[in-house]
Amino acid sequence: MSSPFEQVMIGSDVEFAQDAELSLLETLDHVLSRGLVITGEITISVADIDLIFVGLNVLVSSVETAHEVLRERGRREIGDIESGQ
Amino acid sequence: MSGTNAYYVYCVVEKSAAAEVLQQKSPVAIEESSALELIDHDDLSSVVSQVSLQDYGEETLAARLTDASWTAIRAMRHEHVVEHFSRRTSTVPLRFGTIYLDRRGIETMLREQEAQLTAILARLKDREEWGVNVYCDRAVLLENITNVSPRLRELTAEAKKASAGQSYLLQKKIETLKTDEAKVEMARAAEQIEKRLADESEGASKLRILKVETTEHGELKAKFAFLVVKSNFKSFHQVAEELARELAQAGIRIELTGPWPAYNFATV
Repeated sequence: MSSPFEQVMIGSDVEFAQDAELSLLETLDHVLSRGLVITGEITISVADIDLIFVGLNVLVSSVETAHEVLRERGRREIGDIESGQ
Repeated sequence: MSGTNAYYVYCVVEKSAAAEVLQQKSPVAIEESSALELIDHDDLSSVVSQVSLQDYGEETLAARLTDASWTAIRAMRHEHVVEHFSRRTSTVPLRFGTIYLDRRGIETMLREQEAQLTAILARLKDREEWGVNVYCDRAVLLENITNVSPRLRELTAEAKKASAGQSYLLQKKIETLKTDEAKVEMARAAEQIEKRLADESEGASKLRILKVETTEHGELKAKFAFLVVKSNFKSFHQVAEELARELAQAGIRIELTGPWPAYNFATV
C-alpha cells in the first residue's frame, strides 16, 4: 500500500479479511481489559483476564480460528453499519 | 431469585433511547439461546441477557474461560451488542464478564451507580472513541535517521566542514549515534501524534501494547485512544493524515481504528 495512512473501519468485512488477526486481538483487548468495571455478583477478576490473554495469543495466531471468531461480531445485517455517518 | 439463570450485563444506556435501539435488528446475545432484555432504574437501562449458571456460575465460568475459543466468541458477541448500542446512542460499555444473579441485583447497581453512570453518559454524548496505532519500520527509520534527527543533521554538517581526521571521527560518532537517535525520534513522533490528536479530541489515553506485533508496516510502537466529538471527526482525521505524511520519511505509519464504543473513556 502506498498511502502512508490507513483506516480500519470496524464493521468493514474487507478490512477484516485483510487484518483479521490484528483486528481480533485489538477487539479482544478492548472488550476484555477495558470498559467500566462494575462489581457484579459474579465478576471475572483481573488475574483471570491475564490468563485469558495467554490463551488468546495462541488462538489468534491461527487465522482460521480468528476468522471464525470475527464472524461473531460481523453477524450484522447489511445496512446496519455506519448508519450514523 | 431465579434458580438456574443469571443476568449478563453488556452496557448501560439512557432509558429514553434503549427500547427503540433494541428493536432495531437486535444482535445475538452472548448465548444464542437467549434474547437481549432491558432492566431499568429511573432514567437508566442496562442491556442484559440471561445466561445459565451451569456455564456462568462462579466455578464453571473460570473453567470455561480457559477455553480461548469459547471466550473469544463470547467476547465478540459482547462487543457486537455494545457496538449496536454505541452506534446509535450514548453508551457506557462494561467490561466483559459482569454477571448478576437476579434482576434486583442489577436494579440495585443502577441505583447505587446512578450519578456516576449518568455523568459518563452525558460526557459520551455525540462522541466516539478512535484508536491510533503507531508502527515503525526500523530499517526505513535507520536509513533516513540522518535527515530526520536534528542532532545527526548537525553532526553531518560539521563533518563536511571538518578536516579529514576530524571528519572520520565524527562519522564514527554518527554511526554509533544512529540507533540511539532512532529511539529518540520514535519517542518524539509518538509524543507529537498524541499531542496533536489530543488537541482535536476531548480525551486521550496511552494504551499498553499487548504483544510485539510485527506487520508489513513494521513494529507496533505506540497505541492511543481518543475521545472525538463526532462533528469534529473530519478535522481529527485530517490531522492524522497530516501526521502520517510528515512521519512517513521516518518509516512511521499511523493506523486509525474505530469508531469503538468508549471503552477507554467509561469513567468519570
